[in-house]
Amino acid sequence: MSLKSDYPSAADEQLVAWAKDGDTEAFEELIHRHRDKIYARAMIMMRNEVDAVDLSQEAWVKSWQRLHQFQGESSFATWMTRIVINLCLDQIRRQKRTRAESIEEMQEESGGVERQMPVAETNPTEGLESEEIRRRIDEAMGKLTDAHRTVLVLHEFEGLEYKEIAKRVGISIGTVMSRLFYARRRLAALLQSLKRERSE
Amino acid sequence: MKTTEFTLDLQAYVDGELDSSRRAEVERALAGDADARRLVDGLRQLSELVRTHEPVAKVPESREFYWSQIQKRIAATEREGNRDRTPASRALQWLRWLAPAFGVAAVAVMIVLPRRDGSVGTLASGSTREDAVSMTFRSDADGVTIHWIN
Repeated sequence: MSLKSDYPSAADEQLVAWAKDGDTEAFEELIHRHRDKIYARAMIMMRNEVDAVDLSQEAWVKSWQRLHQFQGESSFATWMTRIVINLCLDQIRRQKRTRAESIEEMQEESGGVERQMPVAETNPTEGLESEEIRRRIDEAMGKLTDAHRTVLVLHEFEGLEYKEIAKRVGISIGTVMSRLFYARRRLAALLQSLKRERSE
Repeated sequence: MKTTEFTLDLQAYVDGELDSSRRAEVERALAGDADARRLVDGLRQLSELVRTHEPVAKVPESREFYWSQIQKRIAATEREGNRDRTPASRALQWLRWLAPAFGVAAVAVMIVLPRRDGSVGTLASGSTREDAVSMTFRSDADGVTIHWIN
């Protein structure tokens, strides 16, 4: 039997085991530990505080309902981020935001990736504090379309392979590759322009 | 000038997505192509920069309030789940499907059921549209008209 005082010092695995037995306090401790990470992942995908709060809470509800399915193949945090990412992908599909991005996507496809802006040759974040770099990357990612940001987040932060991204998003591997390339070039260009703006 | 396919292969090379034979081909091409090497370096740097500086954010609500919202949602979904599992709700679900069948059966019975005077009702008209089907049953003997719209 768990004691309340054990919660803050208990490992995730122990808290998950307690929560599987219906211990809501153990579950609340898990939420407290990981809520910012899950919220941040929703925020980077949705770029909207209201949606991010809503979807992160929904992810916790889903995880409570599916906790018996979690067998510890990955860490609890990884399992949770997968849940919130799936909810974000569903929400983006529902909002049909990609329709508004069609012009940019057409330009990308007709222009060919090699004609897009060049990858930055100088480090645009040289000499900056880590916190400032983080802020600039966040700002630049906010300027990407949902379609490009989604692929970038799934690859760089979720660590998914091309084929897995293609499956999750419902696009071809070729589209994953071109979207990822375009997203990176645009991100590099945005970071360069942010650097120029700051130095002026 | 690099082709699109080669450019994307360079990216796949950086991401570790090429099989061994294609990887060897790309490495041979890189040895003689300074532009391609610059692109590979740029992609590597950017990827490293992004991975090590994932944007962070904090939930804009207190621990207690955030948890209370989640608790409410869990309670609501559990109530919903319980409601769906009650015998009464299951019966109602069946009735929802059976209601149209009962209606059609009732009309059919009235059509074929002999009246006291030996006459039967008549199916006076039927009409269909793409999204609706209607039937009208009239019994002159009983002075009754029934419209069935499905």
